[in-house]
Amino acid sequence: MSESLIQIFETVNIGVVTLDLELRVQFWNRWMELHSQIPAEKIIGTPIIDSFPNLDNPRFSKNCKAVFSFGSFSFFSQKLHKYLFPFKPDASYGNSFDFMQQSCTMGPLRDQDNVINSLFLIVQDVTELAASENRLIELNTKDALTGIYNRRYLEAHLKDECERHHRYGRQLSLIMLDIDFFKKVNDNYGHQCGDQVLKAIAHEISKLARSTDYFVRYGGEEFCLILPETSADDALSQAERFRDHIADLVIPCKEASIKVTISLGIAELAAGNSPDQLMKRADDALYEAKNAGRNRVTLC
Amino acid sequence: MEETTTLLSEEEKDILQEIMNIAFGQAAADLAEIINIYVVLNVPYIQVLRAIDMPEYLHNELAGHEVISMVEQHFWGDFKGSAYLIFPSGAGKELVSIMGEGVGESGFDSASFDGMEKETLMEVGNILIGACVGKVAELLDDRVTYSPPRVAIENFAIKSIPAEIFDLHSSAIVLKTVFNFNERDVSGFLFLVTKQDSINWLKNSLVTFMEKYE
Repeated sequence: MSESLIQIFETVNIGVVTLDLELRVQFWNRWMELHSQIPAEKIIGTPIIDSFPNLDNPRFSKNCKAVFSFGSFSFFSQKLHKYLFPFKPDASYGNSFDFMQQSCTMGPLRDQDNVINSLFLIVQDVTELAASENRLIELNTKDALTGIYNRRYLEAHLKDECERHHRYGRQLSLIMLDIDFFKKVNDNYGHQCGDQVLKAIAHEISKLARSTDYFVRYGGEEFCLILPETSADDALSQAERFRDHIADLVIPCKEASIKVTISLGIAELAAGNSPDQLMKRADDALYEAKNAGRNRVTLC
Repeated sequence: MEETTTLLSEEEKDILQEIMNIAFGQAAADLAEIINIYVVLNVPYIQVLRAIDMPEYLHNELAGHEVISMVEQHFWGDFKGSAYLIFPSGAGKELVSIMGEGVGESGFDSASFDGMEKETLMEVGNILIGACVGKVAELLDDRVTYSPPRVAIENFAIKSIPAEIFDLHSSAIVLKTVFNFNERDVSGFLFLVTKQDSINWLKNSLVTFMEKYE
């Protein structure tokens, strides 16, 4: 490599690595030294997996083989791979990511006779981009007050869930729940306490729900839970646990101790049900629970 | 839609067809042997078209598929052009489950599933296009580089594909192959569109290729 090209590779703000056919390091630029804390003279000539055992996996070696045998490129996107080299992220992103997020490109290097004898790897730090993307996704899918999913998320995902469950003939249940006499909480204790109650309910039910369930603030004091792989009977016992737990819950706000109850309606996805029909059936069941005196669960 | 006949003679088309047969056969064999991806690539069928007729061509070729996604990747060498890999809608989900093994640390949650689908389409596109174009280039003594793959169309009604996606001023040698993925029910279509300015090079290379065998 010519001297001036090497100077460029040493100065650029991206990682540049070349590996020989046995995946031993041939070139390791300054950026890689800086982020890996491994000096070039230490790593050059050694197999890359000695320093980065995480690369000793079928996926990475398949990509190398593809580059060597097809002369094709491989792209390791941040979304699928997160990173190839476990480097520390810049301190400012330390909380959101354990490791620097990377977008990497791999391609062939040929000698004068057009024979591929090594490969190059280019490593770009995309942590900042990934962080702002995550932030945007969160703003777009989460409810600001309670931190649980919002209605937009529900509408986008309920359709997919329903299709999936129809396709594989699996069970899916939906619980609609609503805080009883919520208006009175606002009237008696003020809106700040109303918000406090909403947050507490969201928090408690999130704790009780399984990690595979989606818990959504549907609007106002109305919430919704999507329960994949769940029959109406199982949803019913879940719902009873929620109802029980909330009825015993004391929510402190300012000097007051607030107690509320919830009503719940359940529907199980029936053959041919659209997401809207499922929602409507759960909503009807909720309405029945309200009419029957509140603080209860009704199955559609 | 009329076929442009001036670009390649019948004989040249036959040679190119033969090269594609060899290339795609080798690509499929290497994919299986080297990276354990089992694709069945049909014998490619070659046509020469005006790029402006591509949407209509695709519409006819893909009859029966209403909604599609398309991965686009450009390649540069003496052999220049674009590869388009077309999947019927829903194929992405299937591919995620085939390719998903070993992705990320703990797989993925449903919130990011849409993103996964897109990335997986690109990854599969990159592998198939790289293998096929690479083999063609190798047979023609060329070396090519690639742009990163891009999902140009996502879940789009095939009727409304805009012609602007393709380079309107060029004619296109279109190769279509149907592939089947890892014995699963995922199939799609691969189209290679060759840029006009590499046609002369291609004609010469076809001659050189034949001379090797004569």
